[in-house]
Amino acid sequence: MKLVAQLEDLLYQFQQAPKTENLRLSAWRILVNDSEAVSVGIKDNSPGSVYTPPSYRQGESGEVFLVWADGTCSQAMVQLPALNDPEYWHKELEQWRQASYEDPDASHIPTPEPLPLVAVEDRAIRTIISGDDEILFDQAKRWLTDRPAQAKMQGSIQAAWGYRHVRTSTGLAVTYQQSQFVSWFSFDSLIGGGFAKRRLIQPEEQEALWSLTVSRYEAMQKEAPPIGPQTKVILAPSMTEEMLGQFILPNFSGDKVIEGQGAFAKENFLDHTLVFHPQFSLTIDPLRPLELGSYLVTAEGVPADRTVLVRDGQLQTPFLRVKDAVRWGAKPTALPHGTAGLYLKHQAEVPWVDALQGVEDGVLVLSVLGLHTQEAVSGSYSLSAPHCIRILKGQIVGRTDVKLTGNFFADMLASTTKTARSDFDTHPYLFIKTGVQTL
Amino acid sequence: MEQKEIQALVRSVLAEARNFDGYVIIRAQSRREWSMRISNGRFERVSTGWDSGLGVQAFTKDGASGFATSDVLAEGVGRKLVDKAIQLARRNEAMGTTLNRKIWEAPRVEAEEGNPAQKVFGEIPLVDLETMVMSIHSSLRSAFSEGVWQTSYRQIEEEWCIGRTDGTLVSFVIPRAVLMHQGTVRVQGKAQSTMIHRSGMDATVLFEELADHVLERKAMDRAEFARAVCIAPQLPSGHYPLIIDYGLAKGLAHEAFGHAVESDHMNESVLGEAGKLRKGLRVARPGVNIIDGPLVGDWAHQPYSANGLIRQTVTIVRDGILEAGLGDIFSAEEAGMPVTGAGRAESYGHIPLPRMSNIRLLVDRMLPLTPAEHLMDEVKAVRETLLENGELREGEKNLLLLGYRGGQVNPKTGDFVFQCDGIIDVSDPKLPIYQPSIFSGKILSVLQAIRGGLGEGCYDAIGTCGKGGQSVASSGGSHRYLLMDADQQVSLGGENG
Repeated sequence: MKLVAQLEDLLYQFQQAPKTENLRLSAWRILVNDSEAVSVGIKDNSPGSVYTPPSYRQGESGEVFLVWADGTCSQAMVQLPALNDPEYWHKELEQWRQASYEDPDASHIPTPEPLPLVAVEDRAIRTIISGDDEILFDQAKRWLTDRPAQAKMQGSIQAAWGYRHVRTSTGLAVTYQQSQFVSWFSFDSLIGGGFAKRRLIQPEEQEALWSLTVSRYEAMQKEAPPIGPQTKVILAPSMTEEMLGQFILPNFSGDKVIEGQGAFAKENFLDHTLVFHPQFSLTIDPLRPLELGSYLVTAEGVPADRTVLVRDGQLQTPFLRVKDAVRWGAKPTALPHGTAGLYLKHQAEVPWVDALQGVEDGVLVLSVLGLHTQEAVSGSYSLSAPHCIRILKGQIVGRTDVKLTGNFFADMLASTTKTARSDFDTHPYLFIKTGVQTL
Repeated sequence: MEQKEIQALVRSVLAEARNFDGYVIIRAQSRREWSMRISNGRFERVSTGWDSGLGVQAFTKDGASGFATSDVLAEGVGRKLVDKAIQLARRNEAMGTTLNRKIWEAPRVEAEEGNPAQKVFGEIPLVDLETMVMSIHSSLRSAFSEGVWQTSYRQIEEEWCIGRTDGTLVSFVIPRAVLMHQGTVRVQGKAQSTMIHRSGMDATVLFEELADHVLERKAMDRAEFARAVCIAPQLPSGHYPLIIDYGLAKGLAHEAFGHAVESDHMNESVLGEAGKLRKGLRVARPGVNIIDGPLVGDWAHQPYSANGLIRQTVTIVRDGILEAGLGDIFSAEEAGMPVTGAGRAESYGHIPLPRMSNIRLLVDRMLPLTPAEHLMDEVKAVRETLLENGELREGEKNLLLLGYRGGQVNPKTGDFVFQCDGIIDVSDPKLPIYQPSIFSGKILSVLQAIRGGLGEGCYDAIGTCGKGGQSVASSGGSHRYLLMDADQQVSLGGENG
């Protein structure tokens, strides 16, 4: 019997006719992910090395949230029981009861609403999981054949497919299929490219991503002239994503705002304080087809919908889970999955190729060391960025090492900050005027 | 599932593989966790959970490997995983993978280690733990009401059993617990956060904290320091004589050095040459030592590797000379180092990688320092001790870096970075405070800059190592403080200098 069915039986039983009144449930919700994944890796130019062998993973696990008759709550991680013990779930339920705590704002379980139509499954990935996985092995072999001769290559390709089950005591019973394809490669652990969506990468996307990465790798073999006081800093899309993840996401989490643990206070949102330049907007959009951050319904049973966090530079709302929404006095919002599903947009965004032509004196930052150590609440950063790409007169001219010092909130508010659209990434290149020095 | 049941399961799954002409490693794990978080006097979350499963790593007779895992810890599933792992290993061989037969050379080990916890998981009921954590949280909120506080407590117990085709069967239990306070303070519209923890094996950490309030005092001191940092100026970037606390020293040893001597990195490490560890290389002044190995009761304790070998304590640097690396069975020989049982994995579902446990950086030249109850009293004591011993450089800033916020290293280039909570200039009797800035440099220079230690060893700086995308408990430390000379290859970020 599937895990979700076992849990549904159990929770219905203890809602309707518990063994003892102390164990009576008034409401509940269940999330179960039932998935399979296959992957293959490359380490030091060896496909499927002893550290990155072809792998198969199968899992069926999830979480339950319970509201007891006395109004207290419990939550627990669950998976299929290892032993065939008919009393297993009853014993678990007794332990969950022991772990119950008071949190009246959390006890609201949303009533079902119509779900949007969002494409989150690529059938081709299901085929891979079913055994037709040559495509993964072929891709790994092709990478190794095509890699720059002197490069030490690392990489990974993973395809995952499965079911997501959401059940609530208010009548929501959703099961849908979702897939995921993630691939990345790097040369000499200095530069790399990656793809992560709910669909397979298209051959032309793979080719373009590969060409771009190889050309940058080759450019990195040359030392470039040092940066100067006028040098513009350009964050590559992956860097923009990392900055958003470090400085923006935590400060837009409803619980952090409500508890006063974020950069912005609730009043800032209610007053629509200007925190970004008016040409910027920031949105969570789980409705885009086959994007990694897309979904039909949250784990709490809230249908996917678009949420604008910042419009014309002004704060609109933090992202709100059900409990935070109750405390905020609003409806629950869309939720990001990490930085997936989060979209930063500048009104004057141009394609990267056009933006590059206009860079007289710039440095393209592909990665930094230690971003995760930076203070998210203050937004301040002091970062070391070895192996950046130097740009002069619209041309990539070689490699340079820099240090960055600034404040990401100040960057986002500055009129000098611009974006350029990436062909491969949902996050843009970000042009910022910040403290930059030779490392 | 109990330890004996897991052992029986691993034996039976291994038996399924007896007709296979290759080699199989089975890893079974059962993990139990209770966690809770309180924010501003209210429970935000209390969660219980089990996580268990099986991982099967199969090797063809020529040494190609495949891996299959499931979160169902059951015999029938184990059989299917063995078949799947063998099938993938054969695919891998056909793909032309680099073959590795080192596992056949691993010594056979049979061992069973019981639970070292003083209070076994579940001995203190969850409801009592909730009461204790709330009491600790409330006490801190009353004592420092200017901050916004979040208190969390996690208690974990992992049962591992590793079985191999050669008859190896190793079973052990790892208990760990941590109590953390996270505070946010604001001054003049500027915010800073601070985090402080107390770790151990079990709920004893809560009893100890309720008795001595050590963490509470530290949290208050750190929050007061964070308030000062909010409105502190930035330092000009540059190269300074530094004093780093033991948390940062752990970070230095872990990020800047430990990762560079792991056997799977030797092809790309600055401490490797032609794929071999550069044994005999002088990396520090005489008297500097780096040691890695498990400590019972420690956050990162693990007595056996995830490949079923005994975890050894390794002196990586002895008297300033690079002596040994952290080798696992698969890459140690190729990397020119002995196998030290360094393979660790986040869970049954991950391939073990060579990695650290508790790493400590110690120097022979140690100045005594009596720990003070409060942070700024201790900073004063540091200044006085340095003055008495002629260690303060006249006419230049001597910067004390406090609080480890994490770090990162690129073992290939030797670049590393760390971040701290804030900086104090101990050369100035007013002890001015500065904003944190990135502490960065080159691996091969930074150890050379160490000139002494201040105070006895403290090894309870904990963290989570994210190598290879796996999250594994790590820990370590040093003397209470380490003294470092200014070095052109080691710099502090900050304002343009």
